[in-house]
Amino acid sequence: MWIADKYIDYVKEQTIAHPGESWDKMLLGFQANKLRTKLLPKKGISKGYQKLEAMMMSFVADSLSHPDSYVWGNIFTPCEIISCFGLHTLSVECLSCYFSGYHLEDFFIDYAQNTGIAPTLCSYHKTFVGAIDSGAVPVPQYAVTTSLSCDGNLNTFRYLEKRKGVPFTFLDIPYRDDEASVDYLADQLRTFVQKFENLTGKRFDEEKLRNAIRIENETRKELVRFFKLQSEHYYPGELISHLYMMMGMHLLIGTQEFLDLIRFMIRDIENYPKFEGKKILWIHLLPFYQETLQSYFNASRKYQIIASDIILDSMEEMDEERPFHALAKKIIRNMYNGSYSHKADMVAELAESLKPDAVIQFCHWGCKQSSGGSILLKEKMKDMQIPMLILDGDGIDRRNSHDGQIRTRLEAFLEMLDEDSKEEAAEKEEKRVC
Amino acid sequence: MLGYICKYAPVEVFESMGVEMKRIEPDVTNFNQAEIRMHPNICSFAKGVLEEVMRGGYEGVILTTCCDSIRRLYDVLKEEFPGAFIYMLDTPRITKDAGVTLYAQRIREMAQAYEKFSGKTFDERKFLKHLKGKQEEQQYAVKSSALNIGILGARANESIKQILQERGANVAFDLTCTGLGRKVLIDEEEVMEGYARGLLSQFPCMRMEQASNRDELIRRFSESVDGIIYHTVQFCDNYAYEYAWLKDWLKRPILLLETDYTRQSGGQVRTRIEAFLESLSAGRQPQKVYRKGDGQMYVMGIDSGSTSTNAVIMDENRKIKAFSVVRTGAKSGVSADRALQEVLEKVGLTREEIAWIVSTGYGRVSISFADENVTEISCHGKGAHYFNPSIRTILDIGGQDSKAIRLNENGEVKDFVMNDKCAAGTGRFLEMIARTLEVSLDELGAIALTSKEKIEITSMCSVFAESEVISLIANNKEKADIADGVCRAIANKASGLLRRVGMEPEFMMTGGVAKNPGVVRAVEEKIGAKLYICEEPEIVGAAGAALDALEKMGRLS
Repeated sequence: MWIADKYIDYVKEQTIAHPGESWDKMLLGFQANKLRTKLLPKKGISKGYQKLEAMMMSFVADSLSHPDSYVWGNIFTPCEIISCFGLHTLSVECLSCYFSGYHLEDFFIDYAQNTGIAPTLCSYHKTFVGAIDSGAVPVPQYAVTTSLSCDGNLNTFRYLEKRKGVPFTFLDIPYRDDEASVDYLADQLRTFVQKFENLTGKRFDEEKLRNAIRIENETRKELVRFFKLQSEHYYPGELISHLYMMMGMHLLIGTQEFLDLIRFMIRDIENYPKFEGKKILWIHLLPFYQETLQSYFNASRKYQIIASDIILDSMEEMDEERPFHALAKKIIRNMYNGSYSHKADMVAELAESLKPDAVIQFCHWGCKQSSGGSILLKEKMKDMQIPMLILDGDGIDRRNSHDGQIRTRLEAFLEMLDEDSKEEAAEKEEKRVC
Repeated sequence: MLGYICKYAPVEVFESMGVEMKRIEPDVTNFNQAEIRMHPNICSFAKGVLEEVMRGGYEGVILTTCCDSIRRLYDVLKEEFPGAFIYMLDTPRITKDAGVTLYAQRIREMAQAYEKFSGKTFDERKFLKHLKGKQEEQQYAVKSSALNIGILGARANESIKQILQERGANVAFDLTCTGLGRKVLIDEEEVMEGYARGLLSQFPCMRMEQASNRDELIRRFSESVDGIIYHTVQFCDNYAYEYAWLKDWLKRPILLLETDYTRQSGGQVRTRIEAFLESLSAGRQPQKVYRKGDGQMYVMGIDSGSTSTNAVIMDENRKIKAFSVVRTGAKSGVSADRALQEVLEKVGLTREEIAWIVSTGYGRVSISFADENVTEISCHGKGAHYFNPSIRTILDIGGQDSKAIRLNENGEVKDFVMNDKCAAGTGRFLEMIARTLEVSLDELGAIALTSKEKIEITSMCSVFAESEVISLIANNKEKADIADGVCRAIANKASGLLRRVGMEPEFMMTGGVAKNPGVVRAVEEKIGAKLYICEEPEIVGAAGAALDALEKMGRLS
């Protein structure tokens, strides 16, 4: 057994036996992993994805080591505003993934369920609630959440406010996309800034926010460019690389550091050969631990995930002159807000520009807002003649993803895709002969 | 006719336009349509609404942005009924002025959309008149003559209230989604703003920012009742948070009741509610005095479970005179007759010589010869206390459900949790696995004890677990190790139930699975305590039923 695995098992045992006494050990592991990703990056994946992993490891390890340096949030919390106050945003989704690095998700999930939290709730939220409620993980001073994209956000933070005394700001994201909604949310953002000024004792500098928005616009443009290149070049990554990218696009967006990374990846990808395999557009979360999916998609020359909707869930050009309105508009127009047809249209737009060979949607256990529309999306993709596979499982709880079922569905789908291209090739050949 | 589902829906706006409004209360037997059009993990209520609307008769449906499942229900309805008035009303979660202004605007836009759709017109003066003419709806009240029950949580359908009424309990309040009568706010200056303010200031549901007020309101409401039914809907997760929070501080007995909005769950719902009412009224039930003949008095308890039907005859000194255990066949009534005959023969009595018969278990209502029926929860409590008075926590793993029951020092039920929605962690699951491993049920437990390698069966669902076991067989794993893995998987489930109920020692295990040494060992390891198992763990429920019969006879204090 590798030393890291032994340490993981040790921390897991300690946490289960005495939650609340093993936090230093967990933190030490995160710090060690941060160093590892910098000094000994994973072999077999591209430099860009190595750097991305290192960046996300530092971001989380450093934030957690300084409890005053971050607030809790979700991936739709406007981190641009929070970073104007010199603070980081650590989201529920992101933290749960890191705790699962110690394979503690089952203990935390059971802990939450045993206190009465619904077993059918999203496993990210259950992991998070269990981690905090069991006392295994310390709490920050504050939290900021939005009603987007799921019911769990408000309820998880309200529950933890009562249990652990972490106050939070709740941003109500209207469903409709119109001026009234934008004004309503922009006002909430302004009020939040005032509240945060009082809370931190720091003055808010609007110019900083404008600058973040300028960088954000640039980053999004560059990301689209990168996705296009990724649909043309083989660029080895892992399932988890896409999750890191999602975290970066939501928690580090608006920072120069992240923009520089995307630009590096654009330069780096040009050095890689043409991609000849099947291009997959991934919808929703990725179960990064899932063996079969790893075996098919990690650094694969045959099947490459070229983009995911959770990374590019907003395509808004933001107006830096009206930063609060711009942020409000971005959140309201997010792919995950509003009707599912809005989402399907945005996925279609992405598919139009990237020309994937297939779409795979992963229906994460407990995620009603995403799973509930999967059948509608499949119909939309059918109209566009893009084959789509719906996989059921769990983004974090291994016990809810059955490898046999995932393997059978995935392999049948990939066989079908390969069969299609053989037929196409045969047709071409036939025409050529004729 | 327009359908609606949410208390924040501006029903009166449409009524003032002469539209008939119907609150959709799905009463369905299956989700056949919903399974095709929606993902199975969507909230059962939303699936039920889809089934109901697909039956026809609605000109349209007014939905609010109340939760994720309803948002997706809108998408599906919109797709299915392009010609109907399927409207999603964006309802703010903030009740301050900004929320009120936005909501008033949204309601106006909706009225305009309906004008366009129907050709009718919305007239604010008419609307005001309509509001003024509304009678305040009757709210619930406490009754001193009955057990008073409050209902909290996610929307509860009428069947819960019906069961309570049948059992003579009074519904003192219903704070679920549409449980409270509507109250409208009239502001003659700003009619729509006033109305929107009124809607948003109703007793807040869990989607609202101000839902933290709920704690105080619930505390006050609860003081007036004997017990609370906290209702949740399968795949609706919002209310479980509140249950997890208030169960620790609300000083009232609470029953957590999950339903899936289909008629199928009726029997299970009834068992839970009845057991809860029994636990609330324990100790203050009027005692019937009835005695047959001059000689020794005998009573009988009969427990009709899904796997076995067990009968116990007891004398007035609480001594078990005889018992029988027969396999439950396709008809529970027939098996009960057989158990009755067998036990009567053993002790040489006739039915007429038994003073009182109490039936329990899932089939309790189908036993025609019983004088009354009591849920197996109360009976297991009584039975366990009888066999060993120091027992405080019971784990009962039966054929089709498993439950954990907490008792006080008098053997009265203080709390219980059940798992009956899925087969994982039940006797059925063990049977299924034994079949897959090609061993008998008895062998399964015995061979588990000889296991050498620890195998984790990680799947939570019994269907998945079965495939997992098949994969393990395919990988040439030893039967003993697989059997042990399965026993430990059951123990994990059981330990979750025990923790939810409170883990107070001493522990006892009842039900057929208690005869399985593999499971017993696994549970003991998991909880770190010994399990007390009586000689015949299957007859604990029947013994409890016999004790209940004796109590009814007034022979026991």
